[in-house]
Amino acid sequence: MTPLLTVRGLHTYYGESHILHGVDFTLEAGQAMSLMGRNGMGKTTTLKSVLGLVAPRGGDVRFNGTDLSGLPTWKRMRQGIAYVPEGRGMFHNLSVKEHLQLAAREGVNGQQSWHYDRVLETFPRLAERLTNLGTQLSGGEQQMLAIGRALLTNPELLILDEATEGLAPLIRKEIWDVIAHIKDSGMSTLIVDKNIQVLKNLCDRHVVLVKGEVVFDGNTTDLLDNIDTVETHLSV
Amino acid sequence: MDFAIFLVQLLNGLQYGLLLFLIASGLTLVFGVMGILNLAHGSMYMVGAYLAWYFTLHTDSFLLGALLSAVIALALGIVIEKTLICRLYKRNHLDQVLLTIGMIFVFNALQSLLWGNDSLGVDVPELLSGSIQLTELVAYPVYRLFVAVLCLVLAAGLYLLINRTRLGMLIRAGESNREMVECLGIDINRLYTIVFGAGVMLAALAGVISAPIASIVPGMGEHVLITCFVVVVIGGMGSIKGAFVAALMVGIVDTFASVLFPAVSSMVVYILMAVILLIKPQGLFSN
Ligand SMILES: Nc1ncnc2c1ncn2[C@@H]1O[C@H](COP(=O)(O)OP(=O)(O)OP(=O)(O)O)[C@@H](O)[C@H]1O
Ligand SMILES: [Mg+2]
Repeated sequence: MTPLLTVRGLHTYYGESHILHGVDFTLEAGQAMSLMGRNGMGKTTTLKSVLGLVAPRGGDVRFNGTDLSGLPTWKRMRQGIAYVPEGRGMFHNLSVKEHLQLAAREGVNGQQSWHYDRVLETFPRLAERLTNLGTQLSGGEQQMLAIGRALLTNPELLILDEATEGLAPLIRKEIWDVIAHIKDSGMSTLIVDKNIQVLKNLCDRHVVLVKGEVVFDGNTTDLLDNIDTVETHLSV
Repeated sequence: MDFAIFLVQLLNGLQYGLLLFLIASGLTLVFGVMGILNLAHGSMYMVGAYLAWYFTLHTDSFLLGALLSAVIALALGIVIEKTLICRLYKRNHLDQVLLTIGMIFVFNALQSLLWGNDSLGVDVPELLSGSIQLTELVAYPVYRLFVAVLCLVLAAGLYLLINRTRLGMLIRAGESNREMVECLGIDINRLYTIVFGAGVMLAALAGVISAPIASIVPGMGEHVLITCFVVVVIGGMGSIKGAFVAALMVGIVDTFASVLFPAVSSMVVYILMAVILLIKPQGLFSN
């Protein structure tokens, strides 16, 4: 079976600085994959290269066997990808309800398992704040809105960049629980985070980046076997 | 100034301000959503006025001429966005200035070639040609009231479109975070085409409805462009609400200045702008 997402030999630059040095990984349908690394190692740049938000100078990206290179971002998303960006990507002039309405659509095969009401059941706090503007929400609520908005596009792959960054422990747990629930529903996920304790239980595959290179790629058993080395790659 | 004259000038100022809003709304919308400063926006106003003259002459109906002009302006806007403006999104501001100034020259040359350089005029349509008696001595032309009401209706329509429809949601989202809109799987370039086309149509429409009360002359586009820049800057770049408030301010201040201080009237709106920028450097309603 073709993997859901294949990334081969990505080389990405910002101006003259060479950030990604041939990043490779694959993600099978139904898998949850973690992408870990210290600050500035190229995790976000990897995601942006996959989504076409930055243009890699080399390498290719395939989704369900389709070559994404050369496609604009919106067409890549239409293949069945959703993105919860670092910083949450709120629209400052749209209400909570409008964020959700704007995003809602059928998935690639017409599936509509995520709809407006289900998102509000999953995040009851959002239901209480429907008329608030995106930027009037607390950090945790913004994150829930960003995830809810992504789910409403009914994707096959949900990409999350530092979804729990800067949140209080209780809110973090709430978000991790929702992500686990999404994973159990069969949706594939690619999760960028630094919290190895949570990710080792949540994800099936783990990729670690150091200075734009993959230094570890394996399943959870491999990760546990090499936990000391991996932790040195993640500790500051 | 007695009350009747005051009232007439106030109505003139409001009507001029509302017309300015119609033009400035497209300028500020295109800037806010697309990040493009279209210096040829005033040329679209000129094109509207000339088209209205041409089609009214050939159809014998101002209404028909106006409708034809609006449709052609919309098509023109779409073509310009798809062939020229779309090349600017990944370029710097200097390229925007060069291209859109170039467009001013092209439109002026076309105007001169197609319609000559004489001053032209369109008759006020018969139905709206009367006057309303404000007091025993002072009357006010119906057509000017019609212009004000039409502009108000269009402004209300624009408000509803932006705040109550899906397209409006998309326009606001595009203003706020272009990348995120694309990340929802939405083709932002289509939105840009629609917004630019609508902006051109509104400017041209302003040219159409002012054709019967203004003289249609070469250079009319540049004059209105500069005034609209004042409006957009006072209101806050990209803010429709700001453009509305600022357009009324500029319209009223300019009208009264030319009655009260005719010698310096052309400076007054710039002084107004300078004062407002001193207090609010980003304009009245900037984000
Ligand atoms: N727009 C940009 N222009 C120039 N350099 C950039 C840009 N964005 C990121 N970088 C640099 O690229 C490198 C990788 O950044 P990236 O954001 O991908 O890291 P990250 O792994 O996501 O880090 P973090 O954990 O802090 O989010 C860093 O050295 C960063 O300074
Ligand atoms: Mg990052």
